[in-house]
Amino acid sequence: MREDRISRIVIVGGGTAGWMAAAALSKIMGEIPGLRIELIESDEIGTVGVGEATIPQIQLFNNLLEIDERDFVRATNATYKLGIEFVDWTRLGHRYVHPFGFYGLDMKGIEFHQHWLKGRFLGDSTSLDDYSLAIVAGLQGRFAHPRPDQPNSPLSKISYAFQFDASLYARYLRRLAEAAGVVRTEGRIVEVAQAGETGFVEAVVLQSGARIEGDLFIDCSGFRGLLIEQTLKSGFEDWSKWLPCDRAFAVPCELGGDHLPLTRSTARPAGWQWRIPLQHRIGNGYVYSSAHVSDDEAAATLLANLDGQPLADPRPLRFKAGHRRKPWIKNVVSFGLAAGFLEPLESTSIHLVQTGIAQLMTLFPSRKFDALEIDRFNAATIQEYVDIRDFLVLHYKATERNDSPFWDYCREIDPPDGVAYKIDMFRRNGHIFREHVELFTETSWLSVLVGQGIEAADYHPAADLLADEETLERLAHIREVVAQTARMMPTQDEFLRHHGSKSEVALRRAS
Amino acid sequence: MTNEHTIRNVVIVGGGTAGWMAAAALSRYLDNGCTKITLIESEEIGTIGVGEATIPPLITFNSMLGINENDFVAATKATFKLGIEFVNWGAIGERYFHPFGSFTQDLQGVHFHQLYLRERKRRVMQDVSSWSMSAVAAAMGRYARPGVNARPPLSGLNYAFHFDAGLYAAFLRNFAEKGGVRRIEGKIVDAKLDGERGNVESVVLTDGAVVEGDLFIDCSGFRGLLIEQALGTGYEDWSHWLPCDRAAAVPCSYSGDPDPFTRSTAYEAGWQWRIPLQHRMGNGIVYSSAHLSDDAARELLLANLEGAPLAEPRHLSFRTGRRNLAWNRNVVSLGLSSGFVEPLESTAIHLIQTGIARLLGLFPDRRFNPVERDEYNRQMQGTFEDVRDFIILHYTKTKRDDSEFWNYCRTLTVPDSLTAKEELWRAKGRIFRDELELFPTTSWVAVMLGQGVIPEDYEPIVDALDEEKVASALEQMRLGILQTAERLPTHGEFLAEIVGQRPAEPELPEFVF
Repeated sequence: MREDRISRIVIVGGGTAGWMAAAALSKIMGEIPGLRIELIESDEIGTVGVGEATIPQIQLFNNLLEIDERDFVRATNATYKLGIEFVDWTRLGHRYVHPFGFYGLDMKGIEFHQHWLKGRFLGDSTSLDDYSLAIVAGLQGRFAHPRPDQPNSPLSKISYAFQFDASLYARYLRRLAEAAGVVRTEGRIVEVAQAGETGFVEAVVLQSGARIEGDLFIDCSGFRGLLIEQTLKSGFEDWSKWLPCDRAFAVPCELGGDHLPLTRSTARPAGWQWRIPLQHRIGNGYVYSSAHVSDDEAAATLLANLDGQPLADPRPLRFKAGHRRKPWIKNVVSFGLAAGFLEPLESTSIHLVQTGIAQLMTLFPSRKFDALEIDRFNAATIQEYVDIRDFLVLHYKATERNDSPFWDYCREIDPPDGVAYKIDMFRRNGHIFREHVELFTETSWLSVLVGQGIEAADYHPAADLLADEETLERLAHIREVVAQTARMMPTQDEFLRHHGSKSEVALRRAS
Repeated sequence: MTNEHTIRNVVIVGGGTAGWMAAAALSRYLDNGCTKITLIESEEIGTIGVGEATIPPLITFNSMLGINENDFVAATKATFKLGIEFVNWGAIGERYFHPFGSFTQDLQGVHFHQLYLRERKRRVMQDVSSWSMSAVAAAMGRYARPGVNARPPLSGLNYAFHFDAGLYAAFLRNFAEKGGVRRIEGKIVDAKLDGERGNVESVVLTDGAVVEGDLFIDCSGFRGLLIEQALGTGYEDWSHWLPCDRAAAVPCSYSGDPDPFTRSTAYEAGWQWRIPLQHRMGNGIVYSSAHLSDDAARELLLANLEGAPLAEPRHLSFRTGRRNLAWNRNVVSLGLSSGFVEPLESTAIHLIQTGIARLLGLFPDRRFNPVERDEYNRQMQGTFEDVRDFIILHYTKTKRDDSEFWNYCRTLTVPDSLTAKEELWRAKGRIFRDELELFPTTSWVAVMLGQGVIPEDYEPIVDALDEEKVASALEQMRLGILQTAERLPTHGEFLAEIVGQRPAEPELPEFVF
């Protein structure tokens, strides 16, 4: 091995982030001769692991690890997810779904939604939701895998993610990582040893006295950022003026209510409540602004809005929206809550861990720790946070709610430039642009812009390439095909019941 | 060696499932060079034979006849069946599984279900079906035939079939005719009794032909052409216990892998069956005409199909009960002519099979010794009553109070034989069975628990076993079953091995511009 190669990677902390990093690093680099990957965690320290809902990108991660979907779903009590249902966000009594996948079909070289906007001008008042198979099927509790072999069916490109028990997922990944050679050390870190001159972290010392040396340290220690903050003083970029929620209560409850393959987010007087149905229980939580509601009241609101008996006492969490100014400093890279925090409104927690890992793999350092590589990592990571932040702010900003001081505050937020620009562009004539490689696609922005009640003043002139009548006919046809296809899909319950089966659960004939 | 008393002519009246099962079995077992078997049927008269579900003893019947199971599955478009799923029976929204085969092993002579009952007092337990190989495989849509050398837990998997009863009758007809059974096409217009003993001497067909016989087997269906119309045997009515008296049946299309189980879904005034075959789904609604109109039943049935109906729904009327004597004089009734109990536990074909097996075991000669007949009748009465009691259990042990029908069922007085069983169960979860009883302990346990009848206590001898050891043994067994099930092929894959094709996928609708 060349002299400047990394030979000892130490992961600090074993929650979702730690084990995701361990599993991925060991899978990709585990066979490099002489490379040792070690993970330190303490059973005494609980993990946060509430981020149980995901977005479709998780499949890339699971595929990378060659995880069998059925095995994974069974092991983590997972359910499928076709999108997020937003209740009471735009105004009380209103609901919309942010679906994965696409709406309708692009035609005449322009996006589908331009034809839909034109339809509205022609008096067709059908909801955008009716054109998304994910939404129509999701609201009926149905699910099926995509069928790329049927390119003209809306099922060809249906896109999905999972909702799962994060602690079971961590355990699952731990098994993979340990099998691939990751060494797990139980213990609490009491001291961090830095090199005098460079300030690089040389080793961590455990309560037992054991000293664990490393070339590269990965900080997955959670909010406190044991290495990235407590040792290296990265600093925190505070975004709470845009995202005022700073606390949450989380509580699991028994199964009850519907079994839709959707995460549900319901706006509350001082924040919002998540509902994440798993196979064996429902995960719930109330994310709120402590300036606008007391902890007791928040906990009471949460408990009053469960679909089943609570299975534990509500667990309080405190946080601040924002990110570490430098997620990577010297030989310490931070992932997960150690790197930053954005409320789970769009289920991005696990995704942020995953993109961090991917960036690290791309820019994997040598022991020289090239500043150019580190700068690029930091810029890319922060951009990821910024993009998600903008998308989250849109939900709060674009609301008609005026029934509580919290919503009055949100409505009046001076949004980041990116958000204001996107809203304005859409208002012109339905323009949506995806900047660089931002996470949320045009579909996502469209869904939330329309869902939150932003109106486009006009549509793209190219939509007039179709005669008015033709536009209306095509819209009706798309709705019909989507509706028919949904009726042929099995329910998620059936799908999961057959889940041990090697063959796909059948599509039913539309009757 | 045959002698002057040997039965010379057996005449089977009617050629539905019962008639051809009898013909096939008799052709194999009475091949003595002397006894002739004739079956009379008319193509004008339809058979009832709706898509049939069965229970495991049918395997014995098939192997008794030397039928290759794979040939049988291919010829009758059969699928495998691991049990019955009951939906909305104990209460709306509840479901449970009545599996074939027994629950996992007993420990030191203590029944598994006793261990389970104690454990569920100590902690939250998975559903009892987690300890049934058949139930776990069924839930995953998996199936494999356990070989004779299968070891636990796979040896605990037991199965039956769903098949097309019309094709099964045709399959058996082929078998019987090869075995020398003579088939006569014709409609019977009269039966002649001999003056002295009152035995049936012959039957007369529309064309005037007279068919004589020593022994007549009445497979003529509900009407009981010989057993009732000729001999006036009489019928014991059980409809006060089982008020359903109508059914409507309709096949529909479906796609994908068939489920390896029958489903029964309870409605406000009856229930619907769902029997997946290779080529279609058999569906039917069984209901009480006092509580549901024919039109409403038909609508309910059609609204709950998962594919396009393949025919007009066919309506049936019946009265639950049994012929006072299954065997009267020289007439043995089999199938619907001997009695009717709704197909909730898939017992129709089994009752035929049992009748045939017992008839062979007590086969008479021309002197018709009453001892044999009395014993046959005693045994058949017992079996009919076993089936009746087990079915009544499903209706009466329910929390449902959402309709007059369920209020009636929940509060009716059950037969004493069932009360005794219920009381033993309720006290300490005990199930005692007589030697000839049809349903095994597992069936009673599954249905009792499924219907929400939880014993107050368990047997004291369980406390001789260490709680932690039992808990860990049960957990190991559960995981063993789960892991074994995961390795089984899917039901569709297994069938494809046998019949060489998978059901076709439906075509997805497409965007067309």
